Amino acid sequence: MSENYDPHLQELRRGTIVLAALQLLQTPGYGYGLLQDLEQQGFQTDANTLYPLLRRLEKQGYLVSEWNTGEARPRKFYCTSPEGVDLLQNLVTEWSNLTTSITNLTHIIEGGTS
Amino acid sequence: MNATLTTRYIAAAVTSLPQHMQADVEQELRALIADATDGRIDAGEDQGLAERAVLTELGDPAILAASYADRPLHLVGPKYYLTWLRLLKLLLIIIPLCAGLGVALAQSLTGAGIGVIIGETIAVIISAIVHTAFWVTVVFVILERTGAETGTTWSVDDLPEPETPASSRVGLIASLVLLGVAAGALLWDRFIGLAWITGERLSVLNPDLWPWWMAALFALIAAEALFAIALFVRGRWTMRLAVGNTMLATLFVSWVLTLLGRGQLMSPEFIDRVFLASGVEADTLRILGVVLAFVASGIAVWDTIDGWVRLGKTRGSEPVSE
Repeated sequence: MSENYDPHLQELRRGTIVLAALQLLQTPGYGYGLLQDLEQQGFQTDANTLYPLLRRLEKQGYLVSEWNTGEARPRKFYCTSPEGVDLLQNLVTEWSNLTTSITNLTHIIEGGTS
Repeated sequence: MNATLTTRYIAAAVTSLPQHMQADVEQELRALIADATDGRIDAGEDQGLAERAVLTELGDPAILAASYADRPLHLVGPKYYLTWLRLLKLLLIIIPLCAGLGVALAQSLTGAGIGVIIGETIAVIISAIVHTAFWVTVVFVILERTGAETGTTWSVDDLPEPETPASSRVGLIASLVLLGVAAGALLWDRFIGLAWITGERLSVLNPDLWPWWMAALFALIAAEALFAIALFVRGRWTMRLAVGNTMLATLFVSWVLTLLGRGQLMSPEFIDRVFLASGVEADTLRILGVVLAFVASGIAVWDTIDGWVRLGKTRGSEPVSE
């Protein structure tokens, strides 16, 4: 039965990855490390969605990137740009508005049934 | 062996990317895959299996590349699909019909046999359908990939008007008046003559058609009038009316084609005086006859299809209450 819920749950989660990534990348990070961090924070992400997403955000100017060649394995580090921080604040505001709305909704239903 | 899996994967993913992205994505992917593999090995997995698992997780490299390059993974997406569908439907009616009619007409004019005409027409219609579908789709695939605007945005003004009922009083009166005029013209032609040549009146239609062929034509006209009245009374198209309409159209076209084929439709005197006397060749007359036959058939076919389409719309828009 829960398989039928999956598309709806995915739909709901979709936008949250951008929010979480912008938040986490305020301290610079690289692809695999970010994937680990996201999972640790409870955001289930597929590698093949996250990596192209980082590129897209970079192209849109919300992330800046830099190659770190200091270590044995050169890695591309991403960092949230000032525009990215702006976007992040907007997303967070929207999210908390939604949370309030959902809480209110639940209260109405509980009030109605009890 | 293990190194080549990653190398092969990266090569497959990078090859379809734009030139300027290739080196960057290649290096990044290499690091990402190595990191993830190391992560799995640290968790106690065998190296070969870890690499396989990481690459499997990343999925089809072509899909990953499309995602990197922001390329659509469909032929025609939601932005253009409806425009494509509407245009294709319209063109699939117009182009094969025009091409088929054109070829049939041309073949008839050159005096081809009926088998050749039918064969050629079907071949041309099929090839017109294939070409139309293919080229229209190609154009939209290009639009989809260049992101061009089609210039068609929907607005409330585009909403279709509700179909005017088939039973409008104006329609009935127009039909009856037209049929009356046609009957009057036939009588006028017989007793006075429609053509007026050098001070003399001539019949256009063959006077030998009287009385029986003409009686049949008048019966058809009367039947058409009854049909118009029945349609008005009924208020909408029904299965019976559509069948009746088809039969009337078939009978009418049979009447015209039979007489044209026998060369009995026009008055011989009229043809002598108007065409042959002014130097028109018999060949040209035959061509005029073929064109006339096509016009008559075209009108009949259109009238028949129109009836069925209207029936379909009535069926679609309201519950049938027979």
